[in-house]
Amino acid sequence: MAEEATLQVSASETIGTLLARNASHYGSSIALREKERGIWKESTWAEYVEEILACAAGLEKLGVEPGKAVLVLGDNRARLYAGMLAVSLLGAYAMPAYPGATLEELQHFLGEVEIVAAIAEDQEQVDKILEVRTAGASGIAHVIYDETRGLGFYEDDGLMSWDHLIDIGRHDLNEDPHRRESILNRTKPDDPAIFMHSSGTTGKPKGIVLSQKNVLAAARNGHAAGAFEENEDVLAYLPMAWVGDFAITVAAALLWRFTVNVPERQETVVRDMREIAPTFYLAAPRSWDQMLTTIQVGMENSTPLKKWLYRFFMDRAVAAETRKLNGESGGALEPLGRLLGEAIVFGPIKDQFGMSRLKNAFTGGEAIGEDTFVFYRALGIKLRQLYGQTENSAINAIQSPGEVRLHTVGKPVPGVELKIADDGEILIRSDSVFKGYFNKPEATAEALEGGWLRTGDAGYVEENGQLVVLGRVSEVMYTAGGERYVPNYIENRLKFSPYIKDAAVLGAGLDELTAMVCVDFEAVGHWAEVNGVPYTSYADLSQRAEVATLLHGAFKRVNNALTEPLRLQRFVSLPKEFDPDDGEITRTRKLRRKVVEERYADVVAALYDGSKEVHVSAQVTYETGEVGKVERSLPIREV
Amino acid sequence: MFYRLSGVHHADYVSDTRIFKLPADRNLAAFIFLFGLVAPFIIPSLYLNSYILPWLIWTAAALGLNLVTGWAGQLHLGYAAVMAVGAYSAIHAARFGIPWEFALIIGGLSSSVIGSLFAFAALRVKGLYLALTTLAMQFVMDWVLTHSPAITGGSHASLQSPTLALLGQDITSDAGYYYVAFGWCVLVTIFMLNLKRTGLGRALVAVREKDFAAAILGVNSFYYKILAFATSSFIAGVSGALLIATFFFLAAPEQFSVNVSIQVLAMVIVGGLGSVIGSYFGVALILLVPGLVNGLVVAGSAGLGTQINVETLAHIPNAVYGALIVVVLLIEPLGLGKLYGNIRDYLMVWPFDQLRK
Repeated sequence: MAEEATLQVSASETIGTLLARNASHYGSSIALREKERGIWKESTWAEYVEEILACAAGLEKLGVEPGKAVLVLGDNRARLYAGMLAVSLLGAYAMPAYPGATLEELQHFLGEVEIVAAIAEDQEQVDKILEVRTAGASGIAHVIYDETRGLGFYEDDGLMSWDHLIDIGRHDLNEDPHRRESILNRTKPDDPAIFMHSSGTTGKPKGIVLSQKNVLAAARNGHAAGAFEENEDVLAYLPMAWVGDFAITVAAALLWRFTVNVPERQETVVRDMREIAPTFYLAAPRSWDQMLTTIQVGMENSTPLKKWLYRFFMDRAVAAETRKLNGESGGALEPLGRLLGEAIVFGPIKDQFGMSRLKNAFTGGEAIGEDTFVFYRALGIKLRQLYGQTENSAINAIQSPGEVRLHTVGKPVPGVELKIADDGEILIRSDSVFKGYFNKPEATAEALEGGWLRTGDAGYVEENGQLVVLGRVSEVMYTAGGERYVPNYIENRLKFSPYIKDAAVLGAGLDELTAMVCVDFEAVGHWAEVNGVPYTSYADLSQRAEVATLLHGAFKRVNNALTEPLRLQRFVSLPKEFDPDDGEITRTRKLRRKVVEERYADVVAALYDGSKEVHVSAQVTYETGEVGKVERSLPIREV
Repeated sequence: MFYRLSGVHHADYVSDTRIFKLPADRNLAAFIFLFGLVAPFIIPSLYLNSYILPWLIWTAAALGLNLVTGWAGQLHLGYAAVMAVGAYSAIHAARFGIPWEFALIIGGLSSSVIGSLFAFAALRVKGLYLALTTLAMQFVMDWVLTHSPAITGGSHASLQSPTLALLGQDITSDAGYYYVAFGWCVLVTIFMLNLKRTGLGRALVAVREKDFAAAILGVNSFYYKILAFATSSFIAGVSGALLIATFFFLAAPEQFSVNVSIQVLAMVIVGGLGSVIGSYFGVALILLVPGLVNGLVVAGSAGLGTQINVETLAHIPNAVYGALIVVVLLIEPLGLGKLYGNIRDYLMVWPFDQLRK
C-alpha cells in the first residue's frame, strides 16, 4: 500500500503551498511564455508567483472573499491564468467562461453565485460585462482588463487595468512583510480551485466546483499513469473554460512545473505551436481531423515527386501501424522504411506542425476516427486516447504507450477506482471527483452515489483491464421497431469523413434512421475547387448535386458498418453550419439534440413524409449579436 | 527537408535579430568555417593557392562592390581603380618600412578617401550617368598609374611587394598566405552579414529602393551613398593590397584595368545583388569556371581524339563560359544567390509545395 499512499495528494497540499514551493525551489525556471508582438516574453516561477500574489492582494482589497466569484472572460492570456490562481488563493470561485459566451449564458452564471468582479481580456469582453451589468447585474463592482487598447475613454465605475490592480496589490504586499505567506497559506485542500460548467447538452449548464484537492489529485494520477512528465512544454490554446485546459495548463503545470506557452492570438496558434514545439499536446478529435485535412490538402497541392514519396512512405507506415494495432508483426524491411520515411517525409511534416518534440500526444472528449488515429501513429506521433469529464477533473483513464488500441480508452489511471453498474454505466471513485453540482442537490444526488460518480457513459471493461466507452447512457434510443441505437455513435462515424463537419441522426420512435449533416466548408470547398464545381457560398455549396454524391459515399461507408434496421435511409445537407452562438451545439461542439430537432422540425417531418424537397428558414446569429435568417429549399437525398 | 523550424522561438529581440536563426543555417556556416580552417591540411597547396586563395580575396572584393551596388543600389564601374589605389598605397607604405598591419589600413583608408572624394562629385548624378562617371574614374586612374613613374615605376614596370609580415611574423608559406586571405574574407563576410540587421544596412536598402522616398523617411540619402562608397572603397583597398601581397607579389597597372572592373561587377550581378552567399558563387563562376571549362574542353578533345586547331580550342571555353552566364541569368535574373535561396525555400516547405496559411 506504500505506492498507493504516494499517489494520494498529501493532505496539506494546496495551490498556495505549491506556488510557494515553485517560487522558492524552482524560482529561476521558466513558468510562462507569452507571445507579444512576435517575442515570447518569459516569466520565471518567482516572477509569476509574485504577480499572482499582487493580484490576490489587490482583489482582496476589492472585496473578493470566500463564497464569492470572479468571472474570467477571454482567450488564453497569461494574466487571466494568474488571475484565476489569485482568486483560488483567496478561497473564492474563479469562474472561467468561453470568450464567445452570449449575454444569456453570462446571465445564467450570474444567477448561480454572487459575482463581485470580472477579469476580462480586452475591450470586447469588457463591453460584454458592462452590458450584463446594465441588464441588471450590478453586483459586478469591478472589471479588470488585460489589454488596454480601446479602453482609454471608458468612464464606467469600477473599471481598472490589470497594471493598476497589481500596483494596488504590490503596495499592500510591501506594507506588511507577512502578507505573502498569509495569502499563500490561507486555503485548505477542500477549498475551491475552479468553478466550471457542464457542457449542457440537455439543458442549462450546471455549475461544477472542483476543489484544490480534486484538481491536484487528477494531476498526480495523470502523472502516475504516464500522461505527462515533469517540466513539459505545453501550449495553452484550449478554451480556458474547458476542464482539460485547467487540468493541464494550471493544475498539472503547477504540480509538475510545466512551462506554459500562451500563443499571441487564436489565429496564430498554428504558427506559435511550431515555434514552441510542445512536448505535451491534448486536442479534441476535431482538431486532429482538421490538422489531418490540412496535411492532406497540402500534399494534394504538392508536386508529383513529393506526392509520390509521401504516398510511398505513408501507405507503408499506415499498413504497418494497422498491423500493429491488430497485434500482427511486420516485415523485416519495416524498420528501414520507418527510418527513411522519418527522414524524408514524416520528420519534415511533423516539423511543419510543431510536433517534432511531441512525446505525449492525447485525444479526448469524443471518439476518434480510425483513419485519423492510424495516420498520426504512422506519422510517428504516439497518439493516445484519454477519457475524462469535468466532474472528475478531466482524467479518468488513459492508454499507456505500449497498449494502444482503437476501440479502448486505456486503463483507469492509478488513484481512480472504476466499476461498471448493472445497467452498463461507468462509475468512478477518486480524490479527483467533485463534491456535487453547485446548489443543485437533486442533480448531485443523481450523479453521486455513495462516493461513486455516475459518469453517464455506457461502457465495459475488457479482460485485460482496458476500458471501452460506448456512448452516453441517456442517448441510447430505440426506433419504432424497438432497435436499440446510440445516435452519437453513428454521428461520430459520419463525422470521420473529412467532408462532414457535424451530423444529427434522427429516428427515435420512428421506423427508420435518417440524418441531417453539415458539410465541412474547408474540405468540401477545396474538393470543389479541385474538381471544378462552382459555388458562391456555404449554402450554395452544401446543396450542389456533386457534393451530394460525395456525401453519398460517406453514408454508404457508415451504412456498411451498421446492421440492416439501423441503416441511414435519407439525408439532408443543411445550408448552414451548426454554431454555438445559435445554440445548436455547445461551445465544446457537442450536439444539442433537442434544439436541433425543434429548429429543423420541418426538415425532420419532410425526411419521413416522402417529400422530395423541404423549405427551410434557419436562424443565424451574427457575431454582433444580430439575428438573421437563411431561407432555402433543400432537396432530400436517398442513400 | 533539412530545415527544421519547430522549437525555434525568440524570448527577446536580441535573439530575434540573430544572423543565423535556423539550426540548419548555423550548422552549415559552422561547417564551412571549420572546413576553411582545416583546408590547408586537406587540399593540395597547388589548388589551395591558385584557386581557393584568389577566390576568397575576390569574394571579399566583390562583397565590397555589393555594398555599393547591391545594398545602396549605385552602379560602380571603377571598382578596380579603387583597388589599385589601396594596393599601391599599401605596398609603398610597406616598402617605406611601415608594418604591414598599418600598411593595409593605410591602403584601405587612402582608397576610402579617394573613393569618397570621387563619389562627392559623381553622386551629383544618378543611374546610368553615375555609371559613366565611375567609368571615367577608372580611365583617369589608369592614366595616372601608367603616367606616374613615382607610383608604378612607369607603364611597363611592376612594383615588387615586400615580404608580408603580420603580428611580427613573416608570412612566406602557402598555408600562411591562405590563412591571411581566409581571415580577411571571413572578416568582410561577417561585416556584410551584420550589415543587414543594422540601421545602416536598412538605410542603404531604403536609398536603393527609392532615394527620395528614403529622404521623406528622414534618411539622408546623400550621406548614406557617400558612406557606402567610403566603406566599400576601404574593403576594395585592403582586398587589392592583399591580392598583391599574397597572390601576385608584383603590382602592375594592368592588374587593375577597366576589364577587371567589369569582371567584378559581373561577379556581383551573376552572384546576386545584395546577396552575401551569392557573391561567393558569383566569384566562383566568373573566376574559376573558365579554367574548369578550359580543362574539360582540352581533356575532352584529347579524349575524343578530335583534331581541333589550337585557336578554336582557345575560343570554345570562352563561348561555353559566356553561355553559362547567360543561362544562369535567364534561369534566375536575381543571380546565383537567389538560386540558392530558391533551393533553400524548396527544402524549407518540403514536402509541401508552399507555406501553409
